[in-house]
Amino acid sequence: MGLFDFIRLKPAKKVAGNKGDKKGNKVDRGFLVFENTSEVIRAEKVLKSEGWEVRVMGPPPEIQTGCDLVIEFPLIEELKILSTLQKAGVSPIKVVPVEHPLLQPVELFQLKDFGQYLMVRAANMKLTVEKESLKIVNVSGGGCPDVPYLAQELINKPLKEAPQPRDLGFTLCGYALQLAYEEMQRQFKA
Amino acid sequence: MEKKIDVRGLSCPQPVLVVLQEIKTTDKGRLIVLVDNETAKENVIRAIESQGWRVGEVKWEGLDCQITIEKD
Repeated sequence: MGLFDFIRLKPAKKVAGNKGDKKGNKVDRGFLVFENTSEVIRAEKVLKSEGWEVRVMGPPPEIQTGCDLVIEFPLIEELKILSTLQKAGVSPIKVVPVEHPLLQPVELFQLKDFGQYLMVRAANMKLTVEKESLKIVNVSGGGCPDVPYLAQELINKPLKEAPQPRDLGFTLCGYALQLAYEEMQRQFKA
Repeated sequence: MEKKIDVRGLSCPQPVLVVLQEIKTTDKGRLIVLVDNETAKENVIRAIESQGWRVGEVKWEGLDCQITIEKD
């Protein structure tokens, strides 16, 4: 499976907003373009911790700059968001109003029950936990250079005590593993 | 003669789960794990080391890899 197989084309929602694009259409979302995935992950963390409603997405193909992910945000909050990011030292290289469909990560979790173990797959990453102890027993997938390190840091740790992958990894695999980790947490909360 | 755990042909994470189940019932000693790809080899080694086992000899024969794991 390719790294981006989990990203499928889905039109962004059109909601009335207070800004227009070049053709006069109303747009209320924009996206922030960063130099690399590491910055996207950092910026997402900063913005979410400040309570902003943002989402990491795949950019439209015509965006030639930046990395393979962008952050979608409410355009009306542009100045405040840019100020927050500037203070955190992770400013985007570009801010673009959403005029075209974004490549949107869709529901991408796959669960597999192995009896005593539960596996969650998010995109290209798999996380497996022993149900009784809630310890992480396996991390695999990806192909990014930080996967062995992520695995080393997470394996044999209880889910509640394990570090968040987003704090350790700076690649798309780290991001996908974070999604798997969050889904696993939801599974055992339910 | 060491017990052999053959996890060839299993897809991730099953090689790790099978080996973990086996070492749960084995306090100490020496086991041979047979895998058929590099990822399974790395995942199994990482898993057994987290359980206090150590890796002895790792020997490739064609597409198969024989990992000796030990615990005193």
